[in-house]
Amino acid sequence: MKINKYIENVAIIGSGIMGSRIACHFANIGVKVLLLDIIPSNLTDDEREKKELKNLIVNNALKETIKSKPSPLYTQKDREHITTGNIEDDLYKISEADWIIEVVVEKLSIKQEVFKKIEQFRKPGTLISSNTSGIPIENLIKNRSQDFQEYFCGTHFFNPPRYLKLLEIIPSSKTKKAVVDFHMYYGNRYLGKDMVLCKDTPAFIANRIGVANILHVFHTANELELTVDEIDLLTGPMIGRPKSATFRTCDLVGLDTLIHVANGVRENCPNDEMHEKLSAPSFINEMQKNNWLGDKTGQGFYKKNKDENGITVIECLDLKKLEYVTKSKRKFPSISLAKKKHSLKDKIKLLINAHDIAGKFYRKTFYNLFSYISNRVPEISNEIYKIDRALKAGFGWELGPFEIWDIIGVEDSIKNIEEDGFKIAPWVNIMIKKNKKTFYSIEKEKLHYYNINKEEYNLIDDIKDFIILDNIREDNIVWKNNDCNLIDIGDGIVNLEWNTKMNSIGEGVLNGINQAINIAEKNYKGLVIANQGANFSVGANIAMIFMMAIEQEYDEIDYAIRLFQQTTGRIRYSSVPVVVATHGLTLAGGCEIALHADHVQASAETYMGLVEIGIGLIPAGGGTKAMAERASQKYFEGDIQLPTLKERYLNIGMAKVSTSAHNAKELDLLLKDRDTITIGNNNLISDAKMSALNLFNNGYTKPANKKIKVLGRQALGMFLVGAHSMHAAHYISDHDKLISEKLAYVICGGDLSAATEVSEKYLLDLEREAFLSLSGERKTLERIEYMLKKGKPLRN
Amino acid sequence: MNEVYIIKGFRSAIGKSGKGIFRFSRPDDIASSVIKHLVNSVPQLEKERINDIIVGNATPEAEQGLNIGRMISLMSLDTHKVPGMTVNRYCSSGLETIALADAKIKNGMADCIIAGGVESMSPIPFGGWKIIPNYDISKKNPDWYWNMGLTAEAVAKKYKIDREMQDNFSYYSHQKALKAIKNGMFNNEIVPIETKSIFLDENEKRQEKIILADTDEGPRKDTTLEKLAKLRPVFAKDGSITAGNSSQTSDGAAFVILMSKKMMLELNLEPVAQLKSYSVAGVEPKYMGIGPVEAVPLVLNQAGLKMNDIEQIELNEAFASQSLAVINELNLNKEIVNVNGGAIALGHPLGCTGGKLTVQLIHEMKRRKQKYGMVTMCVGTGQGAAGIFEIF
Repeated sequence: MKINKYIENVAIIGSGIMGSRIACHFANIGVKVLLLDIIPSNLTDDEREKKELKNLIVNNALKETIKSKPSPLYTQKDREHITTGNIEDDLYKISEADWIIEVVVEKLSIKQEVFKKIEQFRKPGTLISSNTSGIPIENLIKNRSQDFQEYFCGTHFFNPPRYLKLLEIIPSSKTKKAVVDFHMYYGNRYLGKDMVLCKDTPAFIANRIGVANILHVFHTANELELTVDEIDLLTGPMIGRPKSATFRTCDLVGLDTLIHVANGVRENCPNDEMHEKLSAPSFINEMQKNNWLGDKTGQGFYKKNKDENGITVIECLDLKKLEYVTKSKRKFPSISLAKKKHSLKDKIKLLINAHDIAGKFYRKTFYNLFSYISNRVPEISNEIYKIDRALKAGFGWELGPFEIWDIIGVEDSIKNIEEDGFKIAPWVNIMIKKNKKTFYSIEKEKLHYYNINKEEYNLIDDIKDFIILDNIREDNIVWKNNDCNLIDIGDGIVNLEWNTKMNSIGEGVLNGINQAINIAEKNYKGLVIANQGANFSVGANIAMIFMMAIEQEYDEIDYAIRLFQQTTGRIRYSSVPVVVATHGLTLAGGCEIALHADHVQASAETYMGLVEIGIGLIPAGGGTKAMAERASQKYFEGDIQLPTLKERYLNIGMAKVSTSAHNAKELDLLLKDRDTITIGNNNLISDAKMSALNLFNNGYTKPANKKIKVLGRQALGMFLVGAHSMHAAHYISDHDKLISEKLAYVICGGDLSAATEVSEKYLLDLEREAFLSLSGERKTLERIEYMLKKGKPLRN
Repeated sequence: MNEVYIIKGFRSAIGKSGKGIFRFSRPDDIASSVIKHLVNSVPQLEKERINDIIVGNATPEAEQGLNIGRMISLMSLDTHKVPGMTVNRYCSSGLETIALADAKIKNGMADCIIAGGVESMSPIPFGGWKIIPNYDISKKNPDWYWNMGLTAEAVAKKYKIDREMQDNFSYYSHQKALKAIKNGMFNNEIVPIETKSIFLDENEKRQEKIILADTDEGPRKDTTLEKLAKLRPVFAKDGSITAGNSSQTSDGAAFVILMSKKMMLELNLEPVAQLKSYSVAGVEPKYMGIGPVEAVPLVLNQAGLKMNDIEQIELNEAFASQSLAVINELNLNKEIVNVNGGAIALGHPLGCTGGKLTVQLIHEMKRRKQKYGMVTMCVGTGQGAAGIFEIF
């Protein structure tokens, strides 16, 4: 039996942080959500007559969630998909649901009580799941009907569920296979999740490994006398983990939650070799006593304070004295060296062999981690890749532990690990003896993992349809230069990726795009421009622009802008469809590339914007022109037009960045009726490829060059007054005002007496002139320099 | 020169724009309700003997466009014989029309004119739907186009009116207005108006509801100095002007009947007031709020009166900052200014305000048996206006 379900209604029981946020994520994808919680226990009889008081808990929880940053919603409008209610009055409505998710407090008896109530109204055949992070699934379904048990499993989301990609599916012995298959499919395709099918073992996979690792880091910090902020420096982006690293993550998650999971594992896994280390070090107990649980209680490992000048400073906890102190300024020689390495792999290799205290820390923690994961197979998973996937998707690690081990070298490291007193599971030695030197292997362009039972490499089946550039690059390269690879992704479509720093765009990338289009026009049906880095692109290479501007090589800048404009023009006016697939930051020049595509296939998590004003410039790769053009396409007979243009002017003038692809549609950075959205990044390139093929199959012809209606001085006057007023009100600086005026001039098509239809070239020339004149401004150079040094805009 | 008298004056209650009692009403409907009541209160007057209706309006477009003055005449009087026109001098429009009517009758061009103003800020954005500044001016003198809030900031800075002073002033405006409403001080001047709201209920079924507008909605009982102090500046980053110490945007209408002495005697009517004089003056547009400082001495001079002769003043509270600056600069007696609260509490329906303040002044002074009173206000783009009335 195969469940071919269409999920229209989801009921979520429990509106705490997870319940509300899961509700929001379903609302994001257009599913109708019923969110229920209990009635406040302290209501008087009179108050119990009032619906709004009875729904106070759920409504307040949802309100707080929606206010939280980063937003759990793609757009504020998605709130409309959620209705709220209370369990006493509204539970019957769950009979309408296609899927019921329980997200109440982590207590077996309460959950069982809730399921008993749910069973009264749940229609047979309705999916039912629990978001428990640790209670055995088998225990939850005791005393429930056969149908309930067959359709039940654990669906474990990670906080925040919109952003953390992991969804663990934990079937019980009774769960139908079709139910599991459905979740694995739906979670990937509709919720955009990285799916991990788990065994019903304590804390499942991600938390079992992740929390044990954190506890081990706690103990190691103590042992090596490293401070809270030093540990976070060592365990953050330096080794491909989130900025919040270890201790900041604990503050975000809440120390109590973390310890709850650790205790659960300790109690239920007496034979776990980390059993002792899973008990918290003494500083943790003290912190719990003091209620220093993290952000939720206002302080944890970090605390915000004011210095004598009233400026906010962040202090961190001294783990010995349990006092908040200023951050350590300690420098680690190995970290300084690692910073110079471009790739994460090279950094890790360097760090683990370093002779300083950082090296010692890395060896201790990585060796412990390797030992721990090797011994968890097959206990928590028969397949090693699930452990990597769970840690990557659930904790935001760039590389999973087995992947890191492969980088360090499995065979070479075994001796060191064992010498340092860590035990490695026998299957690893067997693997090496079988002459399989790595945990992963790419065969026939598909990723394979080492199967410990069969002692051979097997295909990772559930991702075989994803296009993973890392796996196919080598054998399918059509053309390359220093910055770009053009890769044949099958069915007549080529994909252009680039791999510059932050995926910025310089001459090499622009030449790559032109070359890719040339090749595609000759030999292929279409071109996809996409990459699988952290972000699509942060924009043009501003270091180059800065150098040219400092040297006052304005001819060079003029050439660079012309090349950029000519390239975005080529994207638009080529004879093959060009699909741009965006994800993550898609800023400035990166955004301009997308603005000129025939079609954008955007990941829902696309943060898009024309942010050039932050570095004292205006978009001049066709971006300002594109906003004038998109406004122009919206004008109609009798329309007052100005507000339409103003919104698009403000996109640039206020450097707006979309909070999702859906929000980018609201900003008109993506086209509502044309561009399409993929939830999650896994299917992005294959969807983009399909879009390109569709365009080709529908008889793609090169678009005709259309005129753009600009409004001239009637709009320009309003923008100039606006900039002057904003400046007088001290909302913007002198330089902001100057840039706003230049931007206004371009987007209005100059000071023409009347609205006029102009060519793209006319606007591109205005863009270029404005860019050139701004690049001669001292304050623009200061802005660029600041951005290069600090990675954030200067408002001078 | 003919002598001219005001025979009667009424106004609507003032609704909050966007969410108040008149949010479903059109300005022409509100105005004609007031005018019908006004005309009915003078049964001796045959409608066709009214020579003109002059309507003040600060945003004469959309619902207020198409010469709303003429539309209001047609809608109010059941005759096509009385013409109508629309006059715009922003916030003094409703006073300007009374002065215009007075001058016309004085000069023998008419015997009876209905004058006042109407403004519906619910449906039309501040400044109108399409704002197109002159491009050359936007480069040379962009501050001529500043929003009013920014000019209020400029006045606060120049005349050193700090946030606390403004909030304090605003708090007392609310207290005075609340007390006046509680004591029924406006009952005799407000025309109760029933408006119909047609809407869809939860089940998308068409429903109708009658809303009775008979009380000013602006004053807030829950206003406290603490709450006012918590509001954020809305017009400038480091500014002091907040939603709490600015006038409220509102909907409303107010009109008076002006008549020559000859006609008044013929119809055997009693006067309630007379416009002694009216003046307008220009100031730097960025200090718009200070307008009355120039207009008030002019009008006193024209009327041959001294400040001491004035027993009551309606000073339009566009902003607390400019009200205080005007009070200080003219050294006004605070006790006689806005005795029943001002626009910060009661609302400021731009083009109606001049008429509304005139109606309020006449009624309150009559009650107090006072003689000379003044209506004054600042006016957009750097102007001030002031009118002196003698009450009978």
